[in-house]
Amino acid sequence: MNRRRFLAVLGGGAATAVVGVPLVVGVRGASSTGALLPSRCPLPVPFTRPLTVPAVLRPTRTDATTDYYTVTQRPGTAAFLDGVDTRIWGYEGTFPGPTIRSRSGRRAVVTHHNQLPVPVSVHLHGGHTPASEDGFPTDLLFPAGFAGDMSMAGVMTHGTRDYAYTVRQRAATLWYHDHRMDFTGPSVWRGLAGFHLVTDDEEQRLPLPSGERDLPLMIVDRSFDAGGQLRYPSIDGTLLHTPGVTEPYGAGVLGDVILVNGTPWPVAPVAAARYRLRILNASNARRYRLALDPGGVLLQIGTDGGLLPAPRPHEAIELAPAQRFDVVVDFSRYRTGQQVTLVNEFGEGRAGQVMRFHVTGPAPDGSSVPSTLSVDTALSTGDSVATRTFHFRHGTVGGAAGWTVNGEPFAPDRDVARPRLGTTETWRLMSDFHHPIHVHLAHFQVLSRGIGAPGDYDHGWKDTIDLRPAEEATILVRFEDYPGRYLLHCHNLEHEDMAMMAAFTVA
Amino acid sequence: MTWVYWPFRVAITLAALMLVLQAVLAGQFLAGTFGALGMHRDNATYAGIMVLVAAACALLVWRPGRGPLWPFLATLALFGLIAVQIGLGFGRVLAVHVPLGLAIIALCGRLALWSWQAKPAAVAVSA
Repeated sequence: MNRRRFLAVLGGGAATAVVGVPLVVGVRGASSTGALLPSRCPLPVPFTRPLTVPAVLRPTRTDATTDYYTVTQRPGTAAFLDGVDTRIWGYEGTFPGPTIRSRSGRRAVVTHHNQLPVPVSVHLHGGHTPASEDGFPTDLLFPAGFAGDMSMAGVMTHGTRDYAYTVRQRAATLWYHDHRMDFTGPSVWRGLAGFHLVTDDEEQRLPLPSGERDLPLMIVDRSFDAGGQLRYPSIDGTLLHTPGVTEPYGAGVLGDVILVNGTPWPVAPVAAARYRLRILNASNARRYRLALDPGGVLLQIGTDGGLLPAPRPHEAIELAPAQRFDVVVDFSRYRTGQQVTLVNEFGEGRAGQVMRFHVTGPAPDGSSVPSTLSVDTALSTGDSVATRTFHFRHGTVGGAAGWTVNGEPFAPDRDVARPRLGTTETWRLMSDFHHPIHVHLAHFQVLSRGIGAPGDYDHGWKDTIDLRPAEEATILVRFEDYPGRYLLHCHNLEHEDMAMMAAFTVA
Repeated sequence: MTWVYWPFRVAITLAALMLVLQAVLAGQFLAGTFGALGMHRDNATYAGIMVLVAAACALLVWRPGRGPLWPFLATLALFGLIAVQIGLGFGRVLAVHVPLGLAIIALCGRLALWSWQAKPAAVAVSA
C-alpha cells in the first residue's frame, strides 16, 4: 500500500466514523419524542389474552335533568402479567377506569372520593365544561385526613368533591384523567384514566355499528420492573414532593408493552361485520401509526370533537397522545378464521404490534356508514377576531432543563391570552419537537399545517393537534358558553409536568 | 521540514468532520430525535476545541515550518466564529445560526483542503 492510498483509507475511515455512522444510525429521526424505558421482566406473549372492555358505570341516581355518578379513586391491582398482581391507581380501582356514558343535554355529576395517598384533579378531556369543573391543576382534591401541607392557590377540597358536567356538546369520545400540577404523567401511568362517551340525537339516528360492535380501545404503552410492577422514572416515587423524571426521560417516557384497555396485546373475536373502534391514545408520550395487517380500510367517522361531516377512508391513522379517532372496520372483507392485526408502523420491535382481531364467521349486520354523518359546521377565517402565536420549546425551567410555552414555564396565575367569550381566534402553534397541543374548553379546527392544507389526520373538530418537530400549524378556536381560566398545554405528559402549560382566561 | 504540516492536516480535517457532524445532529433533532440536541450542544464544544488545536498546529507551519502565517490566523478566526455560533445557538438566533454554520463548515473545509494541497518543499525553496 503506497502512502497516498494509506492516507485515503485513513481519511475515509475518519469520515465514516465521525460523520457517516451517526448519519446512518439516526437517519430515520424519531416518531415520538421521548426515551424508551425498558421492562425488566419477560414481556408477555402477544395475542394470547382476550380484549376486555371497561365496565360502564351505572348512575347512582337520575332525575329529570341529571345523571349522578360516584367514583372512588383508590389503589388496586391489575393482572397485566400472568401470575402477578400489579399495583395501580384506578378510578374505582381499575385500569382503565369505568366508562361513563352521557347523553348530550343531560347533566352528569360525578362525585369523586379520593382514597389515594396523593391529591388529585380530574379533567374531562374534550369536555366543554365550566372552569370550576375542568380540573385545573391547582384545584386539588385531597384524600380525607391528608396530613401534608400542599395547599396551592386553587380550590382545595378534602375527601370528596363533585364534578358537574353540563354535557352541552356533540356526541364524542371523551376521556377523563388526572391533571394534578407537576404529577400528571406518573398518575396517568399508574392508571388514572377512563372513557366518557357522549351521544346525541344526530349520532343515534345513524345506522353505525353499536352495542357490542362499538368498542372503545384505550391504547397505552407501559413498562414493568423485575417484579412485574409498573416502572416509571419518577425522581420522587411518592409523587408528593419533587416533580419530574430522571434523565434521559425528560423528553418523554416510552414503554415497551402495549396495553389495550389494560391488557397487553389482546385478541378480540369479531364477527365478519362492521365494528366501530373508538381509538384513544392515552399514552404519555408515544405516537402511533395504526394500520391493519393484512391491509384494510380504517374508515374514519369521528375524532376528538365528534363525528366528521363525512367519512374519510385511511390506510393508516396517526395518533398523538390524547387524540381520538373513531373508525369503522368492515371485517366481512376478511375470510372466516383470519387473524387481523392492528399494527403500529411507528413502533419498533414489540411496540410495532397493538392487538389482534380474530374473524369468527358471518353474522347479520344491519349497520352502515352513510356518506353524510353530521352537520358541517366549518369555522371561517373571516370570523377570527385575533391572531396569537405560541411557541412550544425546550427551555430552562427553574434553572433546569424543561419545557416552555413562549419561553416561559407554567404559572397558574398568569394568562398568555384573554379571548373574549363568544369569539373565534386564530392561533399559530410552533414546535421544536413532537408536541401534542391540547386546548381546554374550546374545540378547534385545523386551518393549515406548515405551508399547506391540514394534514390527513387533522379533519373535524379537534381538542388536540399532533404538532411534529419544527412545525407550524394554524388553528381556529371558538370560545363559547363558559368564562374563566383554562389551559393550553402539551399532552406529552412529561413535557406537561415539566411546565409546558399556559393559562388563558375567557372573559 | 515537511513533518510540520502533518499535525495541522490531521487536526483541521478532524475539525471539519466534527463540524459536518453538527449539521447531521441538527437534522436529527429537527427530525424529532431529542438526544441529538444534547449531542449537538456537546459536539459544538469538542469541535471548537479541535479548531483551537488546529490553530496551534498551524503555528508550526509558520515556525519552524517557514510556511505562511495566514492559515494560523484563519483557523483562529474560525474559532472566533464558532464561539459566536455557540452563543447564537443557545440564544436561538436561528436565522443567523444556520447560515453561519454553513459558512463555518465551508471555511473549515477550505482550510483542510489547503492543508493537503500545500507544498512544503516548494515553500522552503522559495524562502
